[in-house]
Amino acid sequence: MTVYLVSMLTYVGFFMILALALNLQWGMTGMVNFGIAGFYALGAYTSSLLTVDAGWPFVAGVSAAGAVGLIAGIGVSFLSVRLRDDFLAIVTLGFAELVRLVALNEDWLTRGPRGLPIDVRPLSDVFDRDGYGWFYLGIVMLTVAVAFLIFERLRRSPYGRVMKAIREDDVVAATLGKDVLRVRVQVFALGSMFMGIAGALYAHYTQNISPEHFTPTVAIFIWMSVIAGGAGNNKGLLIGAGMVMTLLEGTRFLGDAISFLDAEKLASIRIIVIGVLLILVIRFRPRGILPEEKFDGARFGAGRDAANGGGNP
Amino acid sequence: MLQILFNSLLNGAIIAPPAIAFTLMFAILRFPNFAIGAYITVGAFAILYFNDMLGWPLVAATLAGMAVTAAIVWLTDAIVFRPMRHLPSVTMLVVSIALSLILENIVRLLFGGDVRGFDIPLMRPVKLPGLRFTWEQLNIVGIAALATLAMHGLLKYTKLGKAMRATADNFTLAEVRGIGTARVITATWLIGGALAGLSGLMAGLDLVIEPLLGWYLTIPVFAAAILGGIGSPMGAVLGAVCVGLAEELTAEFLAPTYKVGVGFVIIAVLLLFRPQGLFGQPEIKK
Repeated sequence: MTVYLVSMLTYVGFFMILALALNLQWGMTGMVNFGIAGFYALGAYTSSLLTVDAGWPFVAGVSAAGAVGLIAGIGVSFLSVRLRDDFLAIVTLGFAELVRLVALNEDWLTRGPRGLPIDVRPLSDVFDRDGYGWFYLGIVMLTVAVAFLIFERLRRSPYGRVMKAIREDDVVAATLGKDVLRVRVQVFALGSMFMGIAGALYAHYTQNISPEHFTPTVAIFIWMSVIAGGAGNNKGLLIGAGMVMTLLEGTRFLGDAISFLDAEKLASIRIIVIGVLLILVIRFRPRGILPEEKFDGARFGAGRDAANGGGNP
Repeated sequence: MLQILFNSLLNGAIIAPPAIAFTLMFAILRFPNFAIGAYITVGAFAILYFNDMLGWPLVAATLAGMAVTAAIVWLTDAIVFRPMRHLPSVTMLVVSIALSLILENIVRLLFGGDVRGFDIPLMRPVKLPGLRFTWEQLNIVGIAALATLAMHGLLKYTKLGKAMRATADNFTLAEVRGIGTARVITATWLIGGALAGLSGLMAGLDLVIEPLLGWYLTIPVFAAAILGGIGSPMGAVLGAVCVGLAEELTAEFLAPTYKVGVGFVIIAVLLLFRPQGLFGQPEIKK
């Protein structure tokens, strides 16, 4: 049971890093990212291939994953210059699909749908099996803490106020002399870097990655975490990530209770439940459990579209 | 050469009706409805149900399937979208993505994840010099052309079409001038659903029927609609043919599984350099 809890907490940790990163990009700066799975996959494959095939050590692999996430983030965020935020959503989603397709089809590099086994783990000879679970949980939670502290620090800084200004109205921010493009690219790249790092940590933990782990449902889980927790609030989304994971794991036990549901049906039901809950939360509690601490009246998400009834192109 | 042209038309034919539906919904409801792909899946499986499980002939099954899809699509508005119409368009997009996952997985629950096909007799492909096609493919192109013409006629010459164009052009003004915008919105959902159902037929004839059928078409549909200048139905058709051509040309040196990627690259490049679309009509003109 403890082993199970430790492993579940580790998975919650991956969700937390992703959710923190999404909150930085979307919750605080208003940049929609549906390509979470893409950056996550990039990080996972980068670190795996470098450590397994090229023999790099764990730390170097994870750092490289962060760097690749950063670079990809810069590339994708440049699209945001000309894009309305809903189209940016589509582009990021397309980016994630592209990454997944490459992972699926370029067999020579990624071993395709068969999956890529990863046997590299830090200090794996020091701990026994149970101890190692705790150790890895420590690594993941440390990363969560680092991300949390950096993002909280950013949020409270003058830079964070520029981010929020861009979220609320980028034209006003630009008029006030803020370099909107630079802030957007920096923020998006920083978030994507942490998504890449999360992917690398995930890969070395599960020790087997395949394209099916990086479907767009990952993005939905993370969006659910951020929206349920309260967009813009770093503490809320930690709770949100825990809730989503509890929900995902909880529906797993449905299979034991109801015998005619096989694994495939359960997977479908799980996604239906998450989807329905996401819609219900947006409708009835759009600001989440812990709403952002603030004095301005912006509603859920980039508030500027709300003012003119849905934003004309 | 002729073959490439025909295949491009075929690719375009499958995505043209949903691209019209998507662009119409966008013009009137002001948000990109990501669930358009899931609507196609629902359409394909509805037709499959009538055709394969109840044994109806394909034409009757298609009409019934289109009606069912239209009803389901309208229901998604009544239950999900209508109460949230005041929310920003990004929020609606998130909701529509969640909805598309819900619909896809309901289909998966009901029909399973297996690959299926319609119950139709196999026919020998037609071979002409430099051109090879099946009767189904010819039908697909013909049906898509007919649907496009019908939509054009509807928008241009009927009272409903006029009301739809007015509503798309300026919602508030249309309302002030006494156009029943609620009726226009209902009509938009029903027509959009019927078109998605039709696309379900065509995609099911040309590809295989599986719960992810519509998912693979979503990005190409978006690409076609954006290419044609979002909000312009006839632009969407031209955009669909262009996306079809791009898919066909890249198929020479890329695996067909990269079709989604082609659509994505088109969108990205286009939005960067020409966000109003190739055919540059950002709104439906009077």
